[in-house]
Parts: sequence; C-alpha cells; structure tokens
Amino acid sequence: MNEPAPARFAPSGAANRLWRIAGTGLSFVFFGLGALLLGFTIWPLLRLFTLDRRRGIARVQRAVSVSMRLFLWFMETVGVVSTEVHGREKLRERGQFVIANHPTLIDVVILVGLMPEVDCIVKQALWHNVFLRWPVSWAGYISNATGEGLIAACVAALRAGRSLMLFPEGTRTKPGAGLEFQRGAAQIALAAQVPLRPVTITCDPITLFKGNAWYRVPARRAHFVITVGEPILVAEFLAKNEAPPLAARHLTKALTSWFDVSVSQQLREMRRETRPKG
Amino acid sequence: MQSTQEIFEQLRKVLSELFEIEPSQVTLEAHLYNDLEIDSIDTIDLILRLKELTGRKIQPDQFRHVRTVGDAVNAIHALVQNKPAAA
Repeated sequence: MNEPAPARFAPSGAANRLWRIAGTGLSFVFFGLGALLLGFTIWPLLRLFTLDRRRGIARVQRAVSVSMRLFLWFMETVGVVSTEVHGREKLRERGQFVIANHPTLIDVVILVGLMPEVDCIVKQALWHNVFLRWPVSWAGYISNATGEGLIAACVAALRAGRSLMLFPEGTRTKPGAGLEFQRGAAQIALAAQVPLRPVTITCDPITLFKGNAWYRVPARRAHFVITVGEPILVAEFLAKNEAPPLAARHLTKALTSWFDVSVSQQLREMRRETRPKG
Repeated sequence: MQSTQEIFEQLRKVLSELFEIEPSQVTLEAHLYNDLEIDSIDTIDLILRLKELTGRKIQPDQFRHVRTVGDAVNAIHALVQNKPAAA
C-alpha cells in the first residue's frame, strides 16, 4: 500500500483539525446542493430525452457515477479524506454482483464512482430524503422495502446483464463489533446463480461511522483502502442441493467469515504502515 | 385432530430441518424474526412446507399476525381444526 500524498491545501498542526471540520461541513453542503441542482436539471433531462426507459436510467447512472467521482475529488482535495484503490479495473466490467462491507457514510460514494453503471439497493427512507430522493429516483435504484419482490427484482437486473451493488450488512458496521450480514445477498446470488464480487473497505482512523456526528473528525485525516477481490463462486453451494433457506444460511456464513478475515487483515496492514511514524 | 403440543413438536422439527435451528431454541415465546432469525423469504419456504404437512391451503394473510412460535402454533391449530380449505 502506498503512502497517501499530503493534502494540498490543508494547514498543518492544530489548525488542521478545525480545517477538516470545516471541510467536512462544506462537503455535506456541496453534496446536498449538488444533488438538488443535478436532481432538477441534468438527471431528469437525461431521462426526458431518452425514449427507452432503461437506456435513460443507464445514462443517469453514468452521470451519477461522474458526480460521485467529482465529489470524492472535492473531499480529497480539501483534505478531509484520502483513498487508495486496489484492483479498480475489475469494477469496470459490467454485469457483476458487487458486495462490500459498510464502515462509513461515504462507502457508497466511493463504490458508485468506481462503477460505470450500477443498480444500487438503497433503503426506502432515502425516497423521503429531500436531497437523496432525486438521485435514487432518476437512477432507478431499487428500494429495500419491496420485501419478497426485492429478490426477484435483483435477480432480474442481473439476468438482464446489469450490475448490482449492495451492502449485506444492511446498515453501517457497528465499530468494535463483528460483521453481521443479512441473508439477502446470498439469496440473490443463489437465485440468479452468479458469483459475488467482494470489495473490502477499511478506513483508518475511522470516520463517519454509524452514530458518529460529522463534526467529530478523527485525530488525523481518515484514509480509505478499497480492495476489489476475486469473485466468490456459488456453484459449490448450489451443488449440495440444499433447500434454498439452508443454502442461503451457509453462503451467508461463508461470506461473513470471508469479509471478517479480509477486513481485519487489511486494517492490520494499514496500521502497521502508519504506526511507526506515530 | 392434532393437539397444540403435537403441532409444537412438529414445528420444532420443521424449523430444524429447514433452517438448522436448534430445537432447544424453539420455545413458545421465541420470536421468529428476532430470536430465530427467520426472515420474510424464509417465511415463504416455511408456509410452503406447512402446506405440504397439513394438506391445507394457507393464505399468507393467516400468518400476517404471527410473531412468535406460539402464534404460529395457534395459527396452524386453527387451520387444521375447523377450516377444511381456506377460501
């Protein structure tokens, strides 16, 4: 892993923390205003001027991906976070089922920015959020509230050759606790008979985790490492011919331990690199 | 006619077969979702299996208010007791 470049504009010393608090606040404002602005201009126009609904959605998804990259560039330039991606090219392939662990609020920003077009599964509450209802609507994202229909919708997306992304934890990781995966990801992969592309996200020092106020910035700039892993095949879970609920339980268990190992290894490596310098 | 005790024992067996849930965890008070981690997708499989076992049609509606194992036992009991085939 590489040494993150120092932030270009951020002051050093005691002022740095204040700078990052202001920078984080500014990022939130930038994000909200950006979502509103684009949500009333470019995104709906892309949909309006594309006759085919699916092609319109794909165009908006690409535009959202560009917006997310721009937003992340902003945060990095201001010096609030730094990121490092391993295996970026693997996420450019289409028609993949991507799953990731979910330590922070901006994981989805990073992932969507790395993928050209992707159907995301997002919580129903976002359709009631003033800022986020526009991107999730125009980009045709899938709501998690649809219950049994949800699995079918996800399988259909994958069968149609589209990419799908979800966080099996269903919500951000509780810091200090082990990973707890819902079974949805396994149910989808087994029903669609597709491999899962795992992405390991670690952030050190941790920031914007669940229940953490945005202005409580960590002692130094948060650094993200994102590693795109090799596909996890489901064939062996299908071959056992177990009833679907059992197969989903076994696959979920396997996925959880895969991520447990991957996350703790990656975190250990990050800390080993930063610790000697204090 | 099955007693609620027999239904309870049978349900224990089904839950262990379908979901590998330890029979000792299955008590009348156990909450299906919170304690036994039976999600909405599992519920579909469970109802299918109960249909086979009881030979009765089951409308998902009849299980809508089921929260605990005890609720499920009562719902199944009502089903096999009086209604020949649900409309």
